[in-house]
Order: sequence, then C-alpha cells, then structure tokens
Amino acid sequence: MDIVIRASVVFALLYTLMRVIGRRELSSLEPFDIILLVVLGDLVQQGVTQDDYSVTGIVLAIGTIALLLLGVSFANYKFPRLRPLLDGEPILVVQNGEPILRNLKRERVTLEDLAAAARQQSIGSIENVQWAVLETTGVISFIKKDDA
Amino acid sequence: MADLPDRIDLRVHRDLHSPAFNRPARYAILALIGAVVVLGLLNVFGQRPSTSRAESAKASLEITAPSRVRGGLLYQARFTIEAYEQLDHAVLQLGPGWPESQQMNTIEPSPVAETSHDGKLAFTLGTIAARQKYVLYLQFQVNPTNVGHRNADVTLYDGNARLFTIARTITVFP
Repeated sequence: MDIVIRASVVFALLYTLMRVIGRRELSSLEPFDIILLVVLGDLVQQGVTQDDYSVTGIVLAIGTIALLLLGVSFANYKFPRLRPLLDGEPILVVQNGEPILRNLKRERVTLEDLAAAARQQSIGSIENVQWAVLETTGVISFIKKDDA
Repeated sequence: MADLPDRIDLRVHRDLHSPAFNRPARYAILALIGAVVVLGLLNVFGQRPSTSRAESAKASLEITAPSRVRGGLLYQARFTIEAYEQLDHAVLQLGPGWPESQQMNTIEPSPVAETSHDGKLAFTLGTIAARQKYVLYLQFQVNPTNVGHRNADVTLYDGNARLFTIARTITVFP
C-alpha cells in the first residue's frame, strides 16, 4: 500500500512542480537539464521504492503512475474547464512582428531565445512573424506574415 | 495580415485572462515548496540530534539522539551515564519508540542482559563505579513504513529502584 501512496504523492508533486515552474524550463534541454533529469529520476526512485527491490514493487509504482497519467489526460479531455489548470494555456508572444514583452517576461523567455526559436524554423527576423505562440509544451510555434 | 490562429483568443492568450495564469496561486505553491525546504533546514524533519539530561543524587543520564527522523535513515543514539555513587545494578529502560520498527544495528558495549520490563526494552548494564562514566552507543536504521509519533522515554534504574525518567518522543516522517 505504501508504495502506491508514495508514487501518488510523487506524481502530484512533480505534476504541480512542472505546472508552476513555467515552460521556459520545459522547452530547453541543455546538457545541464539532462543531468538534472537523471538526478531527479534517481532521487524520485529512492523516495518511491526505497529499499524495495521486488518486481511487484516496480509493477505497483509504474502502474500507479500510469493510471494517474491516464486519469489526468482523461480529465483534461472530458472536462474542458479543467484544461487551463491541468495543461495550461498557450501564450501569444509575438503579434504582427512585435514581441509581446510582458508575456515573454512572464515565461522568462528572452528576445535571444525567441530569435533562436525562429531561426530553427527558418525565420530570419521576428518582423516576418505575424503570430508566435508559446505552446503548453514549451515549444514556440511561428505563423509568418502573408507577404513574408 | 494573417488571421488569428485557431483556438487562440486575444483576451485569454495575449492578455492572459485565464485561471491558468493565476499568479497568486503560482506564487503560493512556490512559497509552499520554499517553506518546506526552509523547514528542512531548520531541522523540522530531522535528523539533527538533540540532547536531554536528567540527574539524581546517585547518577546523571544524558541522551544525544535525534527526536525526528525519516524512513530509511541511519542514526546514532548515545546514552551517557555518570555515576555519582556506585550503581550496583544499572538498568536502562527504553520506551516503545526506540525498538518499534527500527533496525537496531549495533549496541556497544553489549549489555550484560536484555529483557522486557512490562513490555519495555531493558538493558542491564551491570555495575558502574562511583565517579565513572558509562557510554552506551546504539545505531539505528528507521524502517520506511515506520511513520508516526511514539513515546521514547528512557528510565534509569539501580536494581529495582527507579532513579529518574527522561521524557522523549520520536517522530518518524515518511
């Protein structure tokens, strides 16, 4: 029973943490982020399974997390009013070639980050962008101006 | 000018009028996480040892051990008895919080005898001469499922005569 409760607590903690830290951290996987992910995974494993080396323990922990993930995605699909809380909302960061600084600041995205994301989509200048949307996944989508 | 992308609403996604952008809630959760970390630094969740002391005309006892621990932790409890007069038959009685769901890895020096005093663990330490110290080391590991708050009183006897009791508790966090 303990392992199911611990897995549920860790899931809730990680889910909340991912929602509140913002998507700046989600979008960039730099070398330090990868190391951090590995360290985080190791710390979480110790808290969930502790000294339990059994296959039963692994099945319980993974099963709990899988069911909770399924539950969250079902709630997200079934109850649209929960979506903003569970999944967040996309944020407009460029309108008509002009960066929306207030929204960029809120998500701690610099103009350099924005320009780099644009370059990755073969866009040389933000002025050529009609809309840019910071998606809930942390990826920035660009929609070019009609004449660009 | 290109149309607004599908499912994008300027009021919500540009001007951020949505529960998803609730700053106070976000800051409250971050503050809560920060508070837990600060409480950890302040030893609220253990395992920094604390010292308790009691004495009578015959002897004193000092216990140095954490009173708050977490599942899986290894820790030491040190019991220092200082005899002012000779204790012919020193017995240390431990409350249920000490042995309950904890691995007792080492007891040094080994007691002369171990027994149960009305359900409580009792170590017979033997004779302690006047003006001598007796230091007993116990090394523990907390079982991960041992969550709760328990009585961890320690009583020192000389034979059947109770000298004093140190009131302690142990709290085990998950």
